[in-house]
Amino acid sequence: MNFPDDLKYTKDHEWARIKGSRATVGITDYAQKELGDIVYVEFKDKGTSLTQGNVFGTVESVKAVSEIYAPISGTIIETNAALLDAPEKINSDCYGDAWMIVIEIKDAPELDKLMDSKAYKAYVEAEAKGH
Amino acid sequence: MRTPLFDAHVKLGAKVVDFHGWDMPVWYTSIKAEHIATRKSCGIFDTSHMGEIYARGSGAVAFLNKMVTIDVSTIEQGQIKYTFLLNTEGGIIDDLTVYCIKPQETYMLCVNASNKDIDFQWLESHNSGSCILENKSESTSMLAVQGPNTFPLLKNLLGFNLENTKYYYFKIHTSPQFGELLISRTGYTGADGAEIFMDNKNSRALWDKLVENGATPCGLGARDTLRLEMGYPLHGNDIDEKTSPLEARLSFAVDLNKESFIGKDALLKQKNEGIKKKLIGIELIDKGVPRQGCICLKDNKEIGIVSSGSISPMLDKGIALCYLDSAVRVGDQVEVLVRDKKLKAVVKKPPFVASQIRK
Repeated sequence: MNFPDDLKYTKDHEWARIKGSRATVGITDYAQKELGDIVYVEFKDKGTSLTQGNVFGTVESVKAVSEIYAPISGTIIETNAALLDAPEKINSDCYGDAWMIVIEIKDAPELDKLMDSKAYKAYVEAEAKGH
Repeated sequence: MRTPLFDAHVKLGAKVVDFHGWDMPVWYTSIKAEHIATRKSCGIFDTSHMGEIYARGSGAVAFLNKMVTIDVSTIEQGQIKYTFLLNTEGGIIDDLTVYCIKPQETYMLCVNASNKDIDFQWLESHNSGSCILENKSESTSMLAVQGPNTFPLLKNLLGFNLENTKYYYFKIHTSPQFGELLISRTGYTGADGAEIFMDNKNSRALWDKLVENGATPCGLGARDTLRLEMGYPLHGNDIDEKTSPLEARLSFAVDLNKESFIGKDALLKQKNEGIKKKLIGIELIDKGVPRQGCICLKDNKEIGIVSSGSISPMLDKGIALCYLDSAVRVGDQVEVLVRDKKLKAVVKKPPFVASQIRK
């Protein structure tokens, strides 16, 4: 499984790519593998303000429904509309084409609560063992 | 619990889930890919968790006729019929297939994994001793080999020509390599193919050989989407002790002309009074996935509930089986409530995808 070094990660298996005051958000390789074939995705509208840990969308595989949580507080300034018609991209390119939303960060110090790739990898390995 | 093939599943990298107490593969690579492999080529499923109950003796037919909804005396040697065990209220304890191994003498009942002990106890509790019942589930393995390529595959590997076995018939085939196999032209996918019963000691070798020769290992995930595309009910979801075969529109497997069987009076009463709900399909017009428990609406009025739903990999649309008010008609436009969204759907009589079975 692939966990790029330049991203921040949540315990709910979202990633955030931070550029200046903006965070691009998606779900991780581990999450897409656990869900299996993804067939549906939806997110809240542009302009919605989110608190860290709030649900901002839902992703569905053939078998399961899973909510997606905001890694950081802020306002949704962009959503990936193309993904709604091609949710299977989440399986094939979860860190690239299958980004979900961009958040204008409200509270930068919250970023410290997120994991780096090394910590997230360890977290996922522990979770996989628990299965 | 684990089937004799558990190690094979792990070796193939299966994602394993708990299914009614069984550690079973839900998928190996992807539900969609396995689903499509079954429709287009050949999929192989470990269904060894299912139950096999034998009924033997001169009293077997009379006993089974009291217990199931069809006339067992009309099943000929080598034939299989789908039927039900009902409670006195006409509710479905289980759905099953009856295999006539020797008329008047030996029958095999193939029952659901989650119900096999319940079924056996129910049967035994009504058996005055005229029938000898044996639960052979523990020692029997079962593989479902489904899809068009099943035919050449079985021919090449076993020298068995499935073409010569009619739909819902079976043959006993003895293979030097894999022992005695009961091969039936049945399945739960709508793809043509076979289900193979054998002693546990032979199943791993046969599984490996089939996979080696191109059969795609498929998990319970694909098994579920395949059966849903055909509108086949799943016990515990679409049918249960609270629903009757009439409500589930499965009266083809009920013989109300038969003298008597458990649940007959309740079904007759229900037939006379008319049913209030019926099991039917919906196909989504909007994007989305209907799931078990979702409410169905028509003109903003609640008309029923989804009993099982998913996405159809062949249609790439949400599909579901649901219990709807009897007044609802095929072709009606309805809505299904998924989270906070009302999604448009049309009422359809399954199958959602044409069956590939040559009868």
